[in-house]
Amino acid sequence: MSSHREAPEISKDPVADSSDLYAFVSPDVPNHVTIIANYIPFQEAAGGPNFYEFADDVQYEIHIDTKGAGKADITYQFAFRTALRDASSFLYNTGPITSLSSVNWNRRQLYTVQRTDSTGTKSLGKNLTCPPCNIGPLSTPGYATKLADPAVHTLSDGSKVFAGQRAEGFYADLGSIFDLANLRPFQNLNVYGKADGLSSAAGVNATRLLNVHSIALQVPISRITQKGRPVIGVWTTAARQKVRILGHPVQASGPFVQISRLGNPLINEVLIPQGQKDFWNTQAPHADSQFAKYVTSPELAARLPALYPGVFPNLAALVKSGKPRTDLKDLLMTGLRSGVISGFTNFTGSVAADMLRLNTAIPPSSSPNILGVLGGDLAGFPNGRRVFDDVVTIELRALAGRTYPLVDSAYTPDDAAGALTDGLTPSSLGMPFLDSFPYLGTPFDGYDDPSS
Amino acid sequence: MPDLEEGSAVSRRLVLKGAAGAGAAGIALGGMAVSGAGRAGTPSPASLELRGPAEPVAGETAGEPIVVHVRDVAAGEIDIYRGTTETRLVDRELAARLARASR
Repeated sequence: MSSHREAPEISKDPVADSSDLYAFVSPDVPNHVTIIANYIPFQEAAGGPNFYEFADDVQYEIHIDTKGAGKADITYQFAFRTALRDASSFLYNTGPITSLSSVNWNRRQLYTVQRTDSTGTKSLGKNLTCPPCNIGPLSTPGYATKLADPAVHTLSDGSKVFAGQRAEGFYADLGSIFDLANLRPFQNLNVYGKADGLSSAAGVNATRLLNVHSIALQVPISRITQKGRPVIGVWTTAARQKVRILGHPVQASGPFVQISRLGNPLINEVLIPQGQKDFWNTQAPHADSQFAKYVTSPELAARLPALYPGVFPNLAALVKSGKPRTDLKDLLMTGLRSGVISGFTNFTGSVAADMLRLNTAIPPSSSPNILGVLGGDLAGFPNGRRVFDDVVTIELRALAGRTYPLVDSAYTPDDAAGALTDGLTPSSLGMPFLDSFPYLGTPFDGYDDPSS
Repeated sequence: MPDLEEGSAVSRRLVLKGAAGAGAAGIALGGMAVSGAGRAGTPSPASLELRGPAEPVAGETAGEPIVVHVRDVAAGEIDIYRGTTETRLVDRELAARLARASR
């Protein structure tokens, strides 16, 4: 979760595994959109001596659909190159890394950024430096100001970019969710939890004290929207060359083929069945109508009434009726049409496509609600996604029927559908978000937080 | 004549030369030198290595691998990977020769 290890094949290739995608109007620069694509999930901070890094042989991309066709009108491509200062040393660093040019920093990564749009492909930056991983107070002193801040670069078109380690921003009680959806606050009602005599308890964040690698962009809204069309669709992909010959050195050949993608959180994770997950990762959003049945007939919605007997009677009846969950299709695959929620739309058109849809005309909220649109905050998920949005609770409630009245006003959601949660908030992460780009917090260091 | 799709930069002759000493249906061609890959999990026997003729090929990049994958011997479908390109070659005779060479 939200897309960490979400499919069998990509779970074995973490450097190409997109784990979260965010897109929001920047609260401190409201004429810019920030897009963050996270990769390499579940990083323990002390994971040396070969600390986490992007893959030199993976093509990382962020795509933007400006026309509603589920196709990329703009693509930002990131290519990484690892450089060794001293190949004879086994160490990542041989002394304190006090700046991005430190001679003590042995293994570093540089990257290029290209943008492709209707005018062609242009290089926006070359030999940009990633920050090192946050190793500890002796190796990476003053990490935030001396190493992370200088790794925010300005591209040739004025956009900002950052690529490197960050504190995980996604919070979820994975331990309970994957243990037969035994949400701790409601485990006294879970059929198995009840049988075990469990009482309601607070959630436990499984991603606490973990890091990720982020690719973050901050782009003027005018650079990624068409005039008169403020809603954009965003997704990220990772690709590898088709052929790989193992040995030393490893050789790759052939065209790049997509092996990972992410738009909305939890789609491949929760909605797509095991037998389709790897295939889903190879597909483009414009072809997502082939997966629509998994969105309109979600397995989890059918299982909730059985897992929580007597708690979801209205959901059980809805499932039994066989009516398609068009509310979920609207929320996740087309966006909400104007008029469904007063003053809001993120509709991109009739093409069913899994993209994070952001209406860039909606300004940042002065009093954000982590439940986003469900909590009355139109600047939050599913209007794009901010780093602090509680997408687990939002989607759990939506699956439980909380959003079905959007398409059927006669339907009354179960009380539990409005209360469902895994019991976490952003404070469960243990590291605050930043007020400015790249917004995700300073990564945990391996000395102070060696184990989650 | 074999069908070449997507404008191959790989000559049929080069592939044929390589095929003579190749050890598997999937073959890595390093420039003009061809190394037989052997069966999976076994080392590449020196006897399967063939040095190609000194026949220059325009645009040849030293050390760049060319990978040949016989997708379907009966249909003669051969995929050739080089750089970031993929070329489909349809040549039943060549596919059959590569298959024989892999035994």
